[in-house]
Amino acid sequence: MRNGFDGGVHPPHYKTHTEDVAIRSAREPEVVVIPLVQHLGAPCEATVKKGDVVDVGQVIGDASAFVSAPVHASVSGKVFKVEPRLHPALGKPVPAVIIESDGENRWHDSIEPRDAEDLTPEEIIRTMRTAGLVGLGGAAFPTAVKFSPPKDKPVDTFLLNGAECEPFLTADHRLMLEGTADILTGMRVMMRALGVTTGTICIEDNKPDALAAMEAACKDVPDIKVVSLKTRYPQGSEKQLIKSVLNRDVPPPPGLPMDVGVVVSNVSTAHALSRAFKTGMPLIERVVTVTGPAIAEPANLLVKIGTLFHQLIEECGGFEGNASRLIMGGPMMGIAQFSTDVPVIKGTSGILALGAEDEWDGEATACIKCGRCVDVCPMRLVPILISAYAEREWYEKAEQLYAADCLECGCCSFICPARRPLVQAIRMAKQHIMNQRRERQAAST
Amino acid sequence: MNLWRILTNGVVKENPVFRLLLGLCPLLAVTTALMNGFWMGVAVIFVLTSSNIIVSMLRKVIAPRIRIPCFIVIIATFVTIVQMTMNAYLPDMYEILGIFVPLIVVNCVILARAEAFASKNPVVSAAVDGIGMGLGFTIALMVLGGVREFFGTANLVINGQPLFDAPLFEPALIMIMPPGAFITMGVLLALLNVMVNRGRSGAGA
Amino acid sequence: MTDYKFVVGSSPHLRTSENTPRLMFYVLQALFLVAVASTILFGVRAMAIIGVSVLAALAAEALWQKGLRQPVTVADGSAAITGLLIAFNMPPLVPLWVPALGSAFAVIVVKQFFGGLGHNFMNPAAAGRAFLVSAWPLAMTSGWLTPFDGATSATPLQVLGGSSGSLPEGWQMLMGWRAGCIGETSALVILIGGLYLIYRQVIDWKIPASFIGTVALFAWVFGGTDGWFTGDVLTHVLSGGLLLGAFFMATDYVTSPVTKRGRLIMGLGCGLLTALIRLWGGYPEGVTYAILLMNVATPLIDRMTIPRPFGTRQTKVTG
Repeated sequence: MRNGFDGGVHPPHYKTHTEDVAIRSAREPEVVVIPLVQHLGAPCEATVKKGDVVDVGQVIGDASAFVSAPVHASVSGKVFKVEPRLHPALGKPVPAVIIESDGENRWHDSIEPRDAEDLTPEEIIRTMRTAGLVGLGGAAFPTAVKFSPPKDKPVDTFLLNGAECEPFLTADHRLMLEGTADILTGMRVMMRALGVTTGTICIEDNKPDALAAMEAACKDVPDIKVVSLKTRYPQGSEKQLIKSVLNRDVPPPPGLPMDVGVVVSNVSTAHALSRAFKTGMPLIERVVTVTGPAIAEPANLLVKIGTLFHQLIEECGGFEGNASRLIMGGPMMGIAQFSTDVPVIKGTSGILALGAEDEWDGEATACIKCGRCVDVCPMRLVPILISAYAEREWYEKAEQLYAADCLECGCCSFICPARRPLVQAIRMAKQHIMNQRRERQAAST
Repeated sequence: MNLWRILTNGVVKENPVFRLLLGLCPLLAVTTALMNGFWMGVAVIFVLTSSNIIVSMLRKVIAPRIRIPCFIVIIATFVTIVQMTMNAYLPDMYEILGIFVPLIVVNCVILARAEAFASKNPVVSAAVDGIGMGLGFTIALMVLGGVREFFGTANLVINGQPLFDAPLFEPALIMIMPPGAFITMGVLLALLNVMVNRGRSGAGA
Repeated sequence: MTDYKFVVGSSPHLRTSENTPRLMFYVLQALFLVAVASTILFGVRAMAIIGVSVLAALAAEALWQKGLRQPVTVADGSAAITGLLIAFNMPPLVPLWVPALGSAFAVIVVKQFFGGLGHNFMNPAAAGRAFLVSAWPLAMTSGWLTPFDGATSATPLQVLGGSSGSLPEGWQMLMGWRAGCIGETSALVILIGGLYLIYRQVIDWKIPASFIGTVALFAWVFGGTDGWFTGDVLTHVLSGGLLLGAFFMATDYVTSPVTKRGRLIMGLGCGLLTALIRLWGGYPEGVTYAILLMNVATPLIDRMTIPRPFGTRQTKVTG
C-alpha cells in the first residue's frame, strides 16, 4: 500500500521558485558562528579557545556522551571568541565558537579520503560519529546513534527519505538530481552499517525528475528500489513514511522506527556520509534553500555551517517587499526567527521569508467544530479536544487523549477554517506532560 | 436580626426560585396560568409559615438525628390541612393543581427553610422568614405563570374573568406546554443574572 | 538588514485559504439552488417566505450582538443559513410572521443564548422548526399545496399515515411535484446541492449516507402494509424533510460529531429515530426531532469514539 497513512493535508507546493535552480556555492563567509549544540542530545564542550588557529575540518567541540555529535570548523582562521550566541532552533543564546576566516581554506591534517568498501559496520558507525553526522532533514538526531540499534531490535529494512514534503524546500530535490551518485554511495554504506540487504528510496510524485534520475541510477542495482509516493504532507515524517511504504505502525513515543525493524535516513545525510568517505571532510557544509515570496532571487546554496542568515539573504538579492516572517526550515514545521543574525546549523534545510501582503495567518475565530483537524491528523488524534483542554490547562485530560503522541506536524492548524492555534496549544500541553513525566520518573528513581 | 431584612431576604436576595433554584418541580408544572401560580403560592406561604413556626418552637425538643422525619411530619400536617381546605372551597383550582398540592410535602423550599433557618432561629424570625420565602416563591410562580399564560393563550385570566375579550394574537401553544416552562425559566434567570451582574459591575466602577 | 521586524509565531506558518465564511458560502450556494427550485415550484409565496425568514435571522443576530456590544458576525453567513433552512421547512400557505419568529427564536434563543456560532448544542434551524411546530401546530402542519396548480393537498407522508389522497409518482417526487414544505420537495435539487457540498469537502458523506440508508432500510423492512419487506422505500426517502435534513441539517458542524465513527453513529441514530417516529410515532414526520435528539447526544458520541492513535495497534513485523 503506497498511500497508507491516515489524514494529511495538501498545502500548495510553492516549489517552483527553486526546483529548477541548480545548487551553487555560497560566498565564502568572513566570520562563522558555530553553535556547540546542533543536534538532539548532549551539548559539546569547546576544544579550542580564543586566539587558537583552526583549520577546515578540525574538531572544535566534542562530547563524551553517547547521544551527541562533534562539531568542526568550517573555515580556516582564528578563533575570535567562544561565547553564547543566538541559536536559530533554540531561540536563545547558546555557547558557540566564532571563527574569523583567513580566506585560505586550509584543510586540517587529519582530512584524508577513506575507502568505505572494506570497513566493518563498527568502523562505519565510528566514522559517522567523527564526521559529526546528524539527520539533515531537520530533527538533527545523531546518525551514529540511529545506526546503532540495540541487539534485541533487529533491523531488516532501510528507507532513504527523499519525500521532502514541506512546501518551498527543494534542497533534497536538487541534491537528488545533482548528487545522485553520492547519495547512492552513501546509501550503500548505510545499508552495510546496518547489515541489511535491501533498501528503498522514497520520493514524492511531485518530483518526477528526481524519481527518474534515481530510477536511472538504480537500474542495474537489484537490492535498491525506488518508490513513488503520493504527494501529501507529512509524507516525509518517519512514521508516516514507514506506514506508506511498508505498512508498519511505529508505536507511539518512545517508540522508534527500529522497533518495527526499520531505519530511515534523509537523502542529504546519505550524501554527506558519502562525502565524508570520499574526501574525508566531516560535515561542514550543507545545501540550504533560500526562498519565499519575500526573497528577491530564491536559490539553492551550498553553505558552510555557521554562515549567518543575513549573508545568505543578501546573496539572494535581499528582501523583496515587506518581509514579515523569517523562518528556518519549511513553513509547516519551521522555526520563526526574530533576527537575521543567526547561523546556519546542521539542521537548516531552508531559510524562508514570507511577506506581509500574503495572508499567511489570520485572527482566530470561534471553533465551529467542523472536525477537519480530526480528519487530517496523521496520528489519528482529536486536536479539537486536546487543544480545548490545553487552553484550559487541563493537561491530564489532554494526556488521556494521547496529546504526547502528537508529531507537531501542524496539519490541524493548517486546515482549521477558524484559524485556531491548535498545534500551538497541543505543543504546550505536550511540553507540560513531558515535564511531568520527567518529574515523576525523577521522583521514582 | 432585623425582621424586615429577613422578610426582604426571602423575596429578593435569596428568592427561593431565582436565586436558590429550589422548588422547581411544582414551579415548572403548575405555572401554566397566573391564577394557578397565585393559589399554589398561597398554599406554600401557609405551609411554609406554619411549619417554620412549629419547627422553631420544637427546635430544642427534636433530637438532631431524627430531625428530618420530624420536619416531614410537621409539614405533612399542614399540607393535609391545605389540601382539604382547597378541596372544600376551591374545587376547580384543586382539580387543576392536582398532585402538586400534596407534593408540597416534599417541596425543597419548605424542607430547606426548616432545616436551614427555622431549626436555628426564634419563633418570630422563623415566621417572618416563612412569609418572606413564601412571598418570594409566590411572586416567582406568578411571574412565570403570567408570562406563560400571556404568550401561550394570548390572554390573561384573573379570578375567572379574561382580561381581554379575544386573544390578542395567535397564541404560541408551546408556552403552556412543558418546554415553555423551561424556556421561560431560562430566559428569566438569564435576564436576572444580567441585571445583577450589571448592577455589580456598575457599583464596582 | 537589522531593522526588519519579523513576526514570530509558532509553526505552521502556512494556512489553508478556506476559512469559516468561505465554508458557509459554499453551503449558501447549495441552499440557493434549493431556494430557486422552491420558488419555481411554489411561486412568489415561497420567495416571500424565504426573504422574510432570512431577513429575520440576520436582523435578530445583528440586533442581539449590537445590544450586547459584541462584534457583529452576520457576515459569516451562519445566520443566513439558519434563516434559509427555517424557510425551507414552512408549508406554502404559512402566515409570514411564523418563519420570522422561528428564525428569531433559532438565532437568539438556540444560538446566541449559548454563546453564538460554535457553542449552540442543537441545530438552530431544527430547534426553530420544533419550536414553531409546538407553538403554532395548525399553521405548521396545514396549508399544503401541490406545486404549480395551487390546489390544497395532503403530503405523501400524511397519505402513508392514513390521510385521504393519492401518492405522487416517483418521478414527480424526484422533481418536487408534490405537496410539502417549500424547500423539502425538490429532491433532485437537494441531492445536487448535497453532492456539491460533499465534492467541496464541506460536509462528510457519512452522515447523509448512513441517515438516508437507515431510513430506507427500516421503511423497506417495517414500512409495508402487507408484512415485512414490502415498504415503499422510494416514497419514504423522497418525501418529507429527509433529504433536506440529512444533507443540510444533520451535517451541521457544530452539532454533529467530529470523529469519523461518530459521524456514522450520528447518521444511524438519526435514521433510526426518524423511522421510529414515522412508522410508529404520533407525527407523520420525525426528521427534525431525530436530528435534535442526536444533536444532544453528540458530545457523548464524540467522547465514546475517540480513535486509537497511530501506532497503538501493533502490526506484525514481517521480514
